Amino acid sequence: MTMLGYQNKVLRVDLTKKGATTEPLRMDWAEKYIGSKGLAIKYLYEELKPGIDPLSPDNKLLLMTGPMTGTPIPCSGKLSISAKSPATGTINDCSIGGHSALQIKYAGYDAIIFDGALKEPGYLLIEDGNVQFKDASELWGKGSHEAEATLAEKYGHDYSILSIGPAGENLVTMACINSDYYRQAGRGGIGAVMGSKKLKAIVIKGTGGVKIPNIVENTKKITEILREDTLQEDNTFIYDYGTTAFLEACSDGGILPSKNFSDATDENWTKYNGDVLLEKRVGKRGCGSCGLGCGNFLKFENATVEGPEYESIAVAGPNAGIDDPEAIVKFNQIADDMGLDTISAGDTINFAMEMTEKGVHDFGIRFGDKVKYLEYLVLMAKREGVGADLALGVKKLTEKYGGEDYALHVKGLEYPQYEPRGSWGMSLAYAVSDRGACHMRAYAPNEEVFAASIPPYTAEGKGEMVYNLGVFNAVKFSLCICDFWATLSYERMAELMTLITGREWTEQEMKEVGARVLNIARAFNQREGFDRKDDTIPKRLVNEALQSGAAAGQKIPQEAFEDMLDQYYAVLGWDKNGMIPDDMICKL
Amino acid sequence: MKRLKFAKSKCIGCQLCAQACSAMHEGEYIPSKARINIESYYDKGGELKYKDSFCILCGICKKQCPVGAITLEEHIVVDHTICIGCGVCERACPKKVIRIRDEKSYICDTCDGDPACVKICPQNALTFE
Repeated sequence: MTMLGYQNKVLRVDLTKKGATTEPLRMDWAEKYIGSKGLAIKYLYEELKPGIDPLSPDNKLLLMTGPMTGTPIPCSGKLSISAKSPATGTINDCSIGGHSALQIKYAGYDAIIFDGALKEPGYLLIEDGNVQFKDASELWGKGSHEAEATLAEKYGHDYSILSIGPAGENLVTMACINSDYYRQAGRGGIGAVMGSKKLKAIVIKGTGGVKIPNIVENTKKITEILREDTLQEDNTFIYDYGTTAFLEACSDGGILPSKNFSDATDENWTKYNGDVLLEKRVGKRGCGSCGLGCGNFLKFENATVEGPEYESIAVAGPNAGIDDPEAIVKFNQIADDMGLDTISAGDTINFAMEMTEKGVHDFGIRFGDKVKYLEYLVLMAKREGVGADLALGVKKLTEKYGGEDYALHVKGLEYPQYEPRGSWGMSLAYAVSDRGACHMRAYAPNEEVFAASIPPYTAEGKGEMVYNLGVFNAVKFSLCICDFWATLSYERMAELMTLITGREWTEQEMKEVGARVLNIARAFNQREGFDRKDDTIPKRLVNEALQSGAAAGQKIPQEAFEDMLDQYYAVLGWDKNGMIPDDMICKL
Repeated sequence: MKRLKFAKSKCIGCQLCAQACSAMHEGEYIPSKARINIESYYDKGGELKYKDSFCILCGICKKQCPVGAITLEEHIVVDHTICIGCGVCERACPKKVIRIRDEKSYICDTCDGDPACVKICPQNALTFE
């Protein structure tokens, strides 16, 4: 069975034996999970043995495209990079922008699966069907930016490069993978998985093509969809402001965390908001096949970055007690170069600041210390000095030094920068997300705060709300479409699938794919021993009321949280313990 | 005569232009065979640079063609029954946009005056005027 849009080919790379083979894509799985997120999780569910050490050669690193990759479907340039997470022990599918997904597809592959581990540091060069293992001893230890620059110099700027920094090499479980310098597969230590395989970089160029039915006619239809749907005002704000726009929305809504989530406002937020940052904008850039172009290329006197995104601004700004925009941009630049996830790295230092201030353990850094903030990032990536401790992340630090009352994580993944006490559904979204606390799985503030369509300070209806948001994102990310096409609908997704594959898809089928993806991810985690006990809310959100801002006085009672969990499990047909019944697993 | 114009300050490097071009001329999305090649990249991470290969209808290819295979009225037409694939046009092209494939020259024909690349360019960095 084949379907247009796909290459019907997987490149399988055995790093231990230094060999590469190709095989057909499992189209029976693609019919049910489409591509990217969903199909990557299905492959890992089928191929990974339960209980493996995520940093051992037994783990696999999957680069998964989708049927729309390499076509002009707007916002379809994202690549799923997936593995079992060394930070959480759960499944971990990351989504990275840039141009690498397109190059993989043009090289003739839907997916690349890395198995085993190299004995010495290396990188992989892929030019269409030609796969070469290269020595990376000169690149090992170098920052991700220097590694990418060296490889781009050698091969040319039309090659896509995915690389890790020292954090990935040193198996720091908050290490990311970079591409195009400033795009990341950020979370869950995906860069440490690549580092454990001693794979410094993947360099790829494809010269082939992607076929779809009635290409002339369908390209015209896609162009119309781009112009009439994607490029409407509800989406194009992302070109003008990038995600800096969320800073004001979150500040107004009382969900902008400050000082390690001890409160949710910052009176100084206008010192580092979009107006200030974008004054330093010198260019715009998007991903391959993007229509919107969210990337802001900024240059301060001593700091350069494409970004910073909302998450990085919030974590290194108000949540760290820092209000210097150049320090925030420098934080972003150093974290990218070191190959550290800005969210987890920032959160961990913020936690250490509070531990120090409260006298629980002295990490030598207090809120607002922007000089040490930057120094500590490098120490963490290299596991040197205090960085050896901080590289453990929030959860393991609490096991070592205490501080559980203000440790913000789920399953060992640090909290993103949306404060749930002002958006109760977000506490549920973080709790049930397939990889620990992630804001990309079900974006509750959109309903509870920005659109204000659902009351934020109640448990009522939140199970269904988080389910609906989760199903939608699960199918959207399985189509490899970016979050910033905010006006996307099920109807549109079905239409796009029909245009690309040539077989008729329906809205109902899209919803079924989304639900199936939520279930297969849960099934993976369930097999690893996760259940209700792991779907947690941090103590701070239950015990301490916010003192200021739009949600002042709010905290989330434990009973309300448990109620939300009950509702969510019920909508999915899972039992009270959050377990998927066997007969449902069999149908996946 | 209308020509393609490119404003790099508006370009986001999405390469939709090359995808649309190859769809119209090659029957698949294959930027390596597109008759336009516009992209941006970060040079060493520190400078945003642009590659802007597109036909400006300068006519140098026509003047240089040793066998008279190229004509230029409203747009370029390469007569493949005459073209010998010698590559003189490719080497002479100031925008480095001509490709020789299977001993034939492939040059932008502005989609007969209605260029698909312009229609799809999401930020209107490409215009035809």
